[in-house]
Amino acid sequence: MKPIRSRSVRAIAIAAVAGSLALTGCSSNSGKEGKDQSKSKDDAAQQSKPVEYGDAKASTGPAAPVAGAKPGGTINVYMQSDMSHMDPGQIYVSDAGQFSNLVHRGLTNFQEDENGNLTVVGDVATDSGQSSDGGKTWTFKLKDGIKDEDGNVITSKDVRHTIERQYAKFIFDGPTYVQTWLSGADYRKALPDGPYKGKHLPDSVLETPDDKTVVFHFDQPRPDLPQALAMAGYSIVPEKQDTKEKYDKAPAALGPYKVADYKAGKSLKLVKNDQWDPKTDVVRHQYVDGYDFTTTIDQTSQTKRLIADQGEAKNAIQWTDSVDPAQIQDVVTDPAVNKRTIKGYQPYVWQMSFNLDKIKDKKIRDAITYAIPSQAMIQADGGKYGGELAGGLFAPTLPGFDPKYDPYGKLKKPNGDIAKAKELLQEAGVKDGTKLTYAYSNSPRGQAQQVIIKDALAKIGFDVQAKEIDRATFYEQIGKLDNPYDLYMTGWGQDWPSQSTVVTPVYDGEQIADGSPNYSHINDPQVNKLIKEALKLEPAEAAAKWEEAHHRIVEEINPAAPVYYSKQIQLFGSNIGGAKYSTESSYIDIDDVFLKQP
Amino acid sequence: MLQFLIRRLIGAVVIMFLIGAFTFFLFYAVPQDFAALSCGKNCSPENIAVIRENLGLDQPITTQFWNFMVGIVAGRDFAVGHCPAPCLGVSFKTGDFVWESIMDRFPLTLSLTIGGLIIFLLFGLGTGMLAAWKRGTVVDKIASGASIVLSSFQIYLLGPIVLGILVYQTGWMENPKYVPFTEDPAAWFIGLLIPWVVMATIFTAQYTRMARSTMIEQLQEEHVRTARAKGMSRKYVFFRYAWRGSLIPIVTIIGMDLSSLLAGGVVTEFTFDLAGLGRLAVESSVTKDLPLTMGAMLFGAFFILILNILVDIAYAFIDPRVRLS
Repeated sequence: MKPIRSRSVRAIAIAAVAGSLALTGCSSNSGKEGKDQSKSKDDAAQQSKPVEYGDAKASTGPAAPVAGAKPGGTINVYMQSDMSHMDPGQIYVSDAGQFSNLVHRGLTNFQEDENGNLTVVGDVATDSGQSSDGGKTWTFKLKDGIKDEDGNVITSKDVRHTIERQYAKFIFDGPTYVQTWLSGADYRKALPDGPYKGKHLPDSVLETPDDKTVVFHFDQPRPDLPQALAMAGYSIVPEKQDTKEKYDKAPAALGPYKVADYKAGKSLKLVKNDQWDPKTDVVRHQYVDGYDFTTTIDQTSQTKRLIADQGEAKNAIQWTDSVDPAQIQDVVTDPAVNKRTIKGYQPYVWQMSFNLDKIKDKKIRDAITYAIPSQAMIQADGGKYGGELAGGLFAPTLPGFDPKYDPYGKLKKPNGDIAKAKELLQEAGVKDGTKLTYAYSNSPRGQAQQVIIKDALAKIGFDVQAKEIDRATFYEQIGKLDNPYDLYMTGWGQDWPSQSTVVTPVYDGEQIADGSPNYSHINDPQVNKLIKEALKLEPAEAAAKWEEAHHRIVEEINPAAPVYYSKQIQLFGSNIGGAKYSTESSYIDIDDVFLKQP
Repeated sequence: MLQFLIRRLIGAVVIMFLIGAFTFFLFYAVPQDFAALSCGKNCSPENIAVIRENLGLDQPITTQFWNFMVGIVAGRDFAVGHCPAPCLGVSFKTGDFVWESIMDRFPLTLSLTIGGLIIFLLFGLGTGMLAAWKRGTVVDKIASGASIVLSSFQIYLLGPIVLGILVYQTGWMENPKYVPFTEDPAAWFIGLLIPWVVMATIFTAQYTRMARSTMIEQLQEEHVRTARAKGMSRKYVFFRYAWRGSLIPIVTIIGMDLSSLLAGGVVTEFTFDLAGLGRLAVESSVTKDLPLTMGAMLFGAFFILILNILVDIAYAFIDPRVRLS
């Protein structure tokens, strides 16, 4: 996935195999007290397992009915800013990812069981894909009866069109995994105008032998392809419906709902898509008649309205915004309100990234890691409902998460270990008053945390120069290779439940470039080698390699101090039924909601 | 009068051009890459270059400014289609035509302004005149005291209090919501009632104080006293002479308030989660959406200039001395 740019910017396919639902106890929120309902992270390790790939049977609809669900009514959706995109090719963040689940369909999708475990199933495809040639070739067969909102049957040509249009220049905001795997880092050069001037990728790359079959050919095994294709960014855009740039305002639906009205920056109305056949869909439901989005309600108002639960708020949900941190206590201490929350982990790990071009001595990095008061940093981000102490750089939402992993004692000493830090600095020969430049985003959280960091590092003798950066350009600024900063807080989460989408973008030395999320500029040959090996393995086999890479990164290199895992708490109205935390999205599971009294 | 109008209109066009140029070049004075701001997650140099080309940012700044100005008069073609005149460009963020975005937000802003204006003029001027009429009495003291207290309130304070009582606690009313008047007049009225009342409360207090003080001032003028000495009734003198004389400063302030409200009642819109021009302007500025910011600035400036001209015309009708000069 990518860094957190703001509270509203979340990842889409933040699937969490670890069974975070069970970890957090969110779906069965008793509402009895204000305590965090999350279970211990100790449960995480045994529940963590790689995602499974479902066969044709697992991919056959309809979806299992939700207990007590009734049809009818309209759900009101609160958002504080507009939907980032509606064109699948441009979708990479969670607001649009949630939207995509209602409107779009891809070759594959994630299905979540009652324990929060995820399976990749066929969505438009009959199964999660058949690999051959050692994982270099993947074949997908399309289901019968898949149509767009105008009744056009979806064929393999539409799938090819979907992939090829991602090469066009007007698509710039979506994921690039599949294009890069097919055509390399300079993939746009392989089809500069996309499919719009009659050219296509060669059959040796992307093949459509008949109307129902699509074959992907890669130059190396791509075991994660079914998961990558489940990203909203790879949802189908029917060739006949493609209006290029205009598609972002009026996409054609394949899912249970279609766009009826859209006013940028104001509102969005979804209504039922009568061409969607539930028998073809094993994941989604179509209980309510539609969704009315208002995209001007800030986090504070959303929380106030939902706490009050008056009038239209009874039928309302938060989309990808969380409960206002200032009102969390009002929410969790009122049992009636607390009952209307979902809680769980988000896939992000907040870490203090070191610029390895500037802080070259590992002892200094270790000293800073020991000195950071993680608990205070969490307090500045909503307290225990906003985050949880991190021991490593893998989030609890990743398979293989080890809750006891804590090489720097951050769990045991959440307020930092100043004595140990000073000892290390002495060994490193660092003098009192040494200057460090700390870059921070000018968000409220960033501003609060910079005070904590300055204080903590001053205690071990550093003279910290805090440099404020506009939150809109923060990641762009620190993403520059020649940035002048020594350290900065960054957040990162997976695109799908695989360590590959964390370790590869953030810690692979071969990814170092301007704009790359390898913010620390770590380039360790051993880590790079492990990444290469792991990427060719099936998820279950790759887990050990990823864990080895994780240990090497954290213990031997320390390019980023683990600070905290991000958490989620959302509210919904009293007339909303079926609301539960989704491990796939880390928000309210949008597939299962209905109105108790339509 | 015609010459005066022509002169003022030409001046307005020049000022609009200068505002446009100033805003445009001021944006570029800030060292930041608009393409990088729009590139979302895949911020590779290649992607930034693609976005720069898509947005036309690869062209020289002077060319971009020229294209922008030409678009206002003649329209422009974009990848999303032809943008007819007055074309204010395409939003970097939404890809919508700026003019359409403004026109989409304007009805709400107009509704807020007109509704609020009617309330605060009726109550503000009425109460101020009553206080002046009853100067020194209990009525005057209550009106003056209340206006001082209420004018020290702010919308961002009073708004949440009113919402808390009427919406969140008692549930007597729904959250404010804009429904077009043409769609459902009753829903339009009910949906905007709270913002109107809150906004009008603050303005009413200010207009009460202003109307009272200007009326009292006028009542002490020599021509008013002369009229009374000639035997004209107090009521006649009050409305015929004093009221008319006090209108000049009042109309001036109304013109200023009206233009700023039409340009976007930012605080009102954010307090009540409404999407009008004020929100559009602020959000476009925060997200560095240059075309949208330019559009919002020019649209606001247009109202300020037009209302200034209308106020000047009103002076001529109110005060014969202005006509003669």
